Amino acid sequence: MLPLLALRNVFWALSTILEVVLLLFLVRRHLHRAVPAFFAYVVLVILQSAVVASSFAFFGASSEPAFRIAWGSQAVIVVARWFAVMEIAKKTLAQYTGIWAFTSRLLILVTALMLLYSIGFSGSRMSLLILNAHRSVELCIAGLIVAIFVFVRYYRVPVNPLQRTLAVGFCLYSSFSVINDSLYEKWRLAVGSLWNYLDMLTFIASLILWIQAVRAYSVSQEQIGPAALPSDTYGELSRKLNSRLDLLNQRLERFFRSQDLRS
Amino acid sequence: MTTSLFLFSLIAVVLVLLLAWAIRPAKRQLVSVDDVLDALSERRHYARLPQILQSLRPEDPDYLHSRGQDQLAVRLRRERKRIALRYLNDLSDEYHLLLEASRILARVAPEVSAMDEFARLRSNLRFTLYCRYLRWRLWLGLQPWDAFGILSDMEGEMTLQLEMASSRLGEQAAVSPGSRYP
Repeated sequence: MLPLLALRNVFWALSTILEVVLLLFLVRRHLHRAVPAFFAYVVLVILQSAVVASSFAFFGASSEPAFRIAWGSQAVIVVARWFAVMEIAKKTLAQYTGIWAFTSRLLILVTALMLLYSIGFSGSRMSLLILNAHRSVELCIAGLIVAIFVFVRYYRVPVNPLQRTLAVGFCLYSSFSVINDSLYEKWRLAVGSLWNYLDMLTFIASLILWIQAVRAYSVSQEQIGPAALPSDTYGELSRKLNSRLDLLNQRLERFFRSQDLRS
Repeated sequence: MTTSLFLFSLIAVVLVLLLAWAIRPAKRQLVSVDDVLDALSERRHYARLPQILQSLRPEDPDYLHSRGQDQLAVRLRRERKRIALRYLNDLSDEYHLLLEASRILARVAPEVSAMDEFARLRSNLRFTLYCRYLRWRLWLGLQPWDAFGILSDMEGEMTLQLEMASSRLGEQAAVSPGSRYP
């Protein structure tokens, strides 16, 4: 088990170094103003590493205070991640005011359903309460990001490559966290250290993705907002398009029925 | 516990796959309202459909059979199947063009009607299912020749409506600040 723990410490150090590198790139590219919630998230992750490492050194890695500090700080990180994801959603869709007004309601519904589902399937053990809460939130974040990109694809909304890569990193990390938490729930004693190791490994992968995206960022990637269409014009055109689509469907339906009569 | 592990892992994998699908580049992308208007005003294949349908009357293969030209009659039938499939493809193309137009419309609208968006989603599902079903029937050799008579009657109306819709869209774009559309 000792080599695995040593490896975990190596990965811990590596992830902290990558976090600092990402922070430096964000500052150098002046992205702390463009993506403030993501910047705050990275700062908080670095602070968490420092606080948890100090608590492990001071109280011992298996002590109750260290456990509380680790999970308490994790709650802060998850909230920060949520804000960073919402920032990406807003930056991607909010300039399209009509779509944003429509999709934001659906996104709330999607996340609420995800939350209810994961709570419904969570065990009732108190010891696993934090783990279940963590998994629920991670599932919500992953579901939210996927829903955003499904809308983006449906409406052909152009997405800034930086925001897309940040979102992909968050989604991959959250999805693997869900699997990782589920593995821990089932075989917690057997996979205790491995759980931490896998968690850091997936986070390192996301950090590498983010660093690449921030390095490749250029100001020209920023999209110019769309011009607005008067709401009455939209209403009229929308109705016309819907009636055209219905007409095509009716034609197809008649085609379809005529074959049934024949056969 | 095992059910929970399986379900959560499955959802996570499905989410990752969905994300991979959602971020892949689109096959076809019309980027502006002007592009949609141009595409809508393009000459449709339907304009020549009555002539094509005229040539597909059942009397022709019947006559060929009666004259002992069975091979030619089979060939004619095969050609009809090809034409029917092409018609379906054209119908499908037009449908997707309209959907594209509706998406671009939603992008530039200050508020989007949820009911309209859901209605379009429902129409899209219906159309996709019908289209797929008909295509399978044609591939399986269930020949819908009678239906072409109905389609022939509808064709004129379709072309007319399409032209009207595109000209209205053009007028709307001209009075709105169209040149600034994304």
